[in-house]
Amino acid sequence: MRYEYLTGNIAIAEASITSGLRFYAGYPITPTSDIFEYLARELPKYGGHVIQFEDEIASINAVIGASWACSKAMTATSGPGFSLMLEALSLAVITETPLVVAYVMRTGPSTGVPTRSGQYDVLQSTYGFHGGLVIPVLAPSTPQEAYDLTIKAFNVSEKLRTPVVLLSDAVIAHTYGKVAMREKGEVEVVERSKPSVPPSEYRPYDPVDGLVPPMACFGDGYGVLVESLTHDERGYYSPRTDSQRKLMWRLYRKIAESAGQIFEYSSLYLDSCDVALVSYGSTALSAQVATKVLRERGVRACSVKFKTLFPVYEEGLAKLLEGVEKVFVVENNTGLYYRELRGVLKDREVVSVPLIDLDVPPPQEVVEVVSKWL
Amino acid sequence: MRIEILIAGRGGQGILLLGHILGAAIAKYTNLHVLGSEIYAAETRGGDSRVDLVVADREEEADFIKVVRADIALFMHQLQLDAYESLVKDGALVFIDRSNVTSVPRRNWRVYIEPYTDIAEKEVGSGRVANVVALGHLVKTTSIVSPEAVEKAIAETVPKEWVDLNIKAFRYFLAR
Amino acid sequence: MAVTHPLDRYLRVDRIPTMWCPGCGLGIALGAMLRAIDRRIEEGVLKRENVGFVGGIGCTARMTLYPQFDSAHVIHGRAIPFALAVKIVKPEMKMIVVGGDGDIAAIGGNHLLHALKRNADLLVIMVNNMIYGMTGGQLAPTTPRGLYTTTTPYGNPEKELNVIKLAAALGANYVARSSITHPQLLERTIYKALAKRGLAFVEVLSTCPEIFGRHIGFRNPVDLYMELRKRIVVKTNPSIEESDYDWSRGFVIGEFVDKDEPGFLDTYREYVLKAVGGAER
Repeated sequence: MRYEYLTGNIAIAEASITSGLRFYAGYPITPTSDIFEYLARELPKYGGHVIQFEDEIASINAVIGASWACSKAMTATSGPGFSLMLEALSLAVITETPLVVAYVMRTGPSTGVPTRSGQYDVLQSTYGFHGGLVIPVLAPSTPQEAYDLTIKAFNVSEKLRTPVVLLSDAVIAHTYGKVAMREKGEVEVVERSKPSVPPSEYRPYDPVDGLVPPMACFGDGYGVLVESLTHDERGYYSPRTDSQRKLMWRLYRKIAESAGQIFEYSSLYLDSCDVALVSYGSTALSAQVATKVLRERGVRACSVKFKTLFPVYEEGLAKLLEGVEKVFVVENNTGLYYRELRGVLKDREVVSVPLIDLDVPPPQEVVEVVSKWL
Repeated sequence: MRIEILIAGRGGQGILLLGHILGAAIAKYTNLHVLGSEIYAAETRGGDSRVDLVVADREEEADFIKVVRADIALFMHQLQLDAYESLVKDGALVFIDRSNVTSVPRRNWRVYIEPYTDIAEKEVGSGRVANVVALGHLVKTTSIVSPEAVEKAIAETVPKEWVDLNIKAFRYFLAR
Repeated sequence: MAVTHPLDRYLRVDRIPTMWCPGCGLGIALGAMLRAIDRRIEEGVLKRENVGFVGGIGCTARMTLYPQFDSAHVIHGRAIPFALAVKIVKPEMKMIVVGGDGDIAAIGGNHLLHALKRNADLLVIMVNNMIYGMTGGQLAPTTPRGLYTTTTPYGNPEKELNVIKLAAALGANYVARSSITHPQLLERTIYKALAKRGLAFVEVLSTCPEIFGRHIGFRNPVDLYMELRKRIVVKTNPSIEESDYDWSRGFVIGEFVDKDEPGFLDTYREYVLKAVGGAER
């Protein structure tokens, strides 16, 4: 292990190399281009490929292709680019293609303030594509977490054969921090499972045991079928209700039933807490500081920072916040993730603290809003 | 232990470089944790240029990226001293470039005021390294990080042909 | 013993019959492709496990469902970036993109444009039936001016897109037009294209009797086939200007470009490997 002083964006780039990234396709967009530029310089040294495509649509489709050629693959983008990628993310979901999208949120809607921050796209990051399923979303709040969660994003994507969104924002992108860099062997790097049967017996969407099918690649001699249509275990189009049900429920279950394994959080003062400030991403930093201020004023406050946002781990969340009387959901948008939590925590008071700030919200503002509702 | 450091000046004074060297030295060569952020005006020269560092011995104490009440501050220009003095708490250690500052507010600070820019021009050989002259003063006075760590960070950060000049500038106050 | 077809070994025979309408030209096109691939495999130029098919959406893209190769049936218009990524990661692959004129030249037009500009090492086969068949007869970018479609019920006011000209202008190594009315010529064209580096673009004129033919008065597949056939002009070394077509003037088929300039992978390797000074992979 060694320590570096990196921005959130460069931490993502470095961690992707540690995770075994071999293919990056991208299109320039603020505030992610330095991930792209860094990898363009570094990844070829590891035998990897970095290609600038004609748009984000081409980029994500190339990432899907590279993953089917057995390369760990990633792209990075922001709101406008992610919007263009949504159709292909749906393809990645139905074809169970492991890949990572580093989504660095900026101020929207539309062109908004391209260089500044916000958390407006937290729901889009998982619900944006068509087809009604959920993809895992991980949300760092510091460069160290950006590093650690990037590795986790690749591992989850390979293990569950799913696209994973690493949801950062413009604040974290350019915040510097101390980052403990893992060397080879110091961190678990998951590789997708490969078929154990000969090509003649291989069925590309047969989960064999469990919910995730082993994956053969282009060029392996297995005659793989990447199929965007509803398909059976062989990958053959099957326009039948029973096929649709079987595929949908397996795709749903493989993510939903992993919620507990994926879930990750950190907390301050949770063991002596009446009032929880729940937050994620860069806004979690404001909530942490606000928590300390509130405690200095005698409020039994705690902060809970979610490092994973989707799938929502309902049982775990309810248990985690068991003794807490009031939950404040602090976020830099109109109160989006609050909508997820109020359904899960329906037996207690859940209050939205929606802040709109181009930067990391001032802790004092959090303190003021929370104090009003105490 | 938790310390907030504010470094501010005008664009072109090497504020971001100075902040990066200090942050990297702390991150890479001490057991301390650090988060840092940069603010700069769109124009490269003349606008506000500012680095905030939050340094702590425990990771959960390095909890924010902006200075709320600075324990240590370095001002390289009058404009930013005026703009940001309210962020500096009483009792703070404040370093000021006398070459670019004529009026220091009456505050309960421990003020170290030296003509960093003049020293860089006349004693070191280039006004461009005034930032690192000031850094030497800050490091010597606060002992937040060892001089050796900073010199390593300088060597890793500045272009090769400028390393010697920067080391010379950095050692100016340390040698006194 | 069941009767087997010589090409059965390249097909997922359990998926036959195909979803194509009776009389559709796509079966002829696929047959010609498989015969050409078979010849290249027999020669040792191609390895079977290194042939990859990628298609977007449309009747032509569904060609990816039937051959027993690594295949991807992806989303509308995006076959090219998928295929190029596979090629970059596994240069030993021969990646074949199959798509209709809508898939390749309308929604996928930007990817085609940049693949051509890169001289990307792909074989792109665009089957042109001049209509949107799968969705029921809407305007295609290649629909000749004046013809009826369901979305231009008063006749198509727009000039047809000549993709041959586009491909030639942007620097593809091989640009040819062929027709399902001339299957042996089609097979020869694809056979040749399979050995090219850089981008090989083959336009295959085809018949859609159910949708296109019905709208222009030739619903019987044989009638439409013969109508197309009589409009075909076979030329050796035709000029690019001769590639413009319309329904009354007819269609010149032949090789419009045949050159051997470095492909994308050649130049990519040259620059990247120079930068890192190491061996590939």
